[in-house]
Amino acid sequence: MSAPAATAPLRGAGVLARLDELLGREVSLRALSLLRVLVGPIVLLHLAPFLSDSLHGRTYQDVFHEPYASWYPELPEGAYIGVLWLGAVAAVAMSAGALMRLAALTRVATVTTFAVVAYNVFLSTTHFHNNRAYLVIVLGILAVAPAAQAGPAWPLWLLRFECAAVYGASGLSKLLDPDWFGGTVTWQRVLHDRADLHPLPDWALSVLTDRDFHTGAAKVIVLTELFIALGLWSRRTRYAAVWVAAIFHLTIEASASVQVFSFLGIAVLLIWAVPSTRDRVLRIDPRAPLARVVGALDWLARFRVEPAAPGSTPEVVDRDGTTIRGRPAVAFALSRLPLTAWFALPTLLLPAVRRARAA
Amino acid sequence: MRVIGRRVIVLGVVLLQLGFIARGYSADHKEFAFQMFPESSTWRADVVRVTADERRVPVEIPWDGYSWDELVTERGLSHPSFRHHADAGLDNQLAFLRAALDWVAANTPRDHATRYLEARVTAWHNDDPPRVEVFRSPVREMSR
Repeated sequence: MSAPAATAPLRGAGVLARLDELLGREVSLRALSLLRVLVGPIVLLHLAPFLSDSLHGRTYQDVFHEPYASWYPELPEGAYIGVLWLGAVAAVAMSAGALMRLAALTRVATVTTFAVVAYNVFLSTTHFHNNRAYLVIVLGILAVAPAAQAGPAWPLWLLRFECAAVYGASGLSKLLDPDWFGGTVTWQRVLHDRADLHPLPDWALSVLTDRDFHTGAAKVIVLTELFIALGLWSRRTRYAAVWVAAIFHLTIEASASVQVFSFLGIAVLLIWAVPSTRDRVLRIDPRAPLARVVGALDWLARFRVEPAAPGSTPEVVDRDGTTIRGRPAVAFALSRLPLTAWFALPTLLLPAVRRARAA
Repeated sequence: MRVIGRRVIVLGVVLLQLGFIARGYSADHKEFAFQMFPESSTWRADVVRVTADERRVPVEIPWDGYSWDELVTERGLSHPSFRHHADAGLDNQLAFLRAALDWVAANTPRDHATRYLEARVTAWHNDDPPRVEVFRSPVREMSR
């Protein structure tokens, strides 16, 4: 056997061992717990139209629907409505259980929520939308993930893959479509909806209906989606990708009807936080406002807070040992909290903060 | 065993997802393919009931206690005579329209006059010239 042929199985075994280590490594699952808390209300929002119809005595069975398969079980109307309400209760229980760290309740509620949402979506082709597909995927992964603060990394990796796949698939389909990448699709959409744009000033209307504008804008949209899909994977670009993704979702929410997609898309971004806890130190006067903010909003346990002398300037020790003091430390701390990150991340680009982090 | 199970689940989901994305380039219904806002295409249709005596009655006129916009409430099909955006693509939209014709034909038992439903569709794929197609439901049992 030649040398390359002999080393190939070894390399293969090495890759497999690396994969197993990556999937089985014990990591913090706080992001998944927090995601469960947030996904509960999103599920309620998703079920709301179905529940509203049922309160008016209507279900999908009364109107045009198209089953995926003849063998797929359809419940009598009363039982179907009961299942929908069970899903709503389970969604609330999932959020509450995750919030109160009741592992058994959380697990049962998550599995039930997933089962109800998936059953309902697969009842008819008319129930299927991209945002619902994403919700089914997210709930499915949450249903199989341990409802604990720590556990194997594979559910997190799987959800990261799915998250990136959503942006990647969307961006790729537009990249491969000459009408999309060339700007025809967005331009035509704006022209068709021109009547709805009347609140905008004339100059904005003029720009938005200009064909040349869409030649460039379409490329920006496509490259934005692809940047999010790829940028999330590298620690160097992850914060930028998360920041851009949040804007991307808010823009979509403002300009189109996408059901729960924006809320779900932003909530799932949590899973890109490094799955480790208390590996940064924040030394701060416990009476300082930042100490209270971190105490209340550090949901992913980014910081180990150590009390400092009254009146002292805050100090953050990052994972690599870099110590940042004063306002740059405040900016850095806020950039690592889920609720303030989007606002604080751009401040990390300020020269003073960059100098402080590089020092 | 747990390690192998983990590998199977993760690789299975990854391959399945990639398969769905690839399938989205050819399927009418693009489940899990995540092709968002794929086209600016628009469409409109004149949907009629063709009766046993060859009358062509627009579905906008209620019949035998049925009303098209109450029977077909989903996927932008309630008012087919108005020009609409095909928000998940033209192929997807027209597949839904064909299925809706079939469903209405099969789920209006009080109607003994209609032989089949027919939609004359004008569709604009992005900024291409319009294309006209005619779809028909199967001939209804009760009118045979």
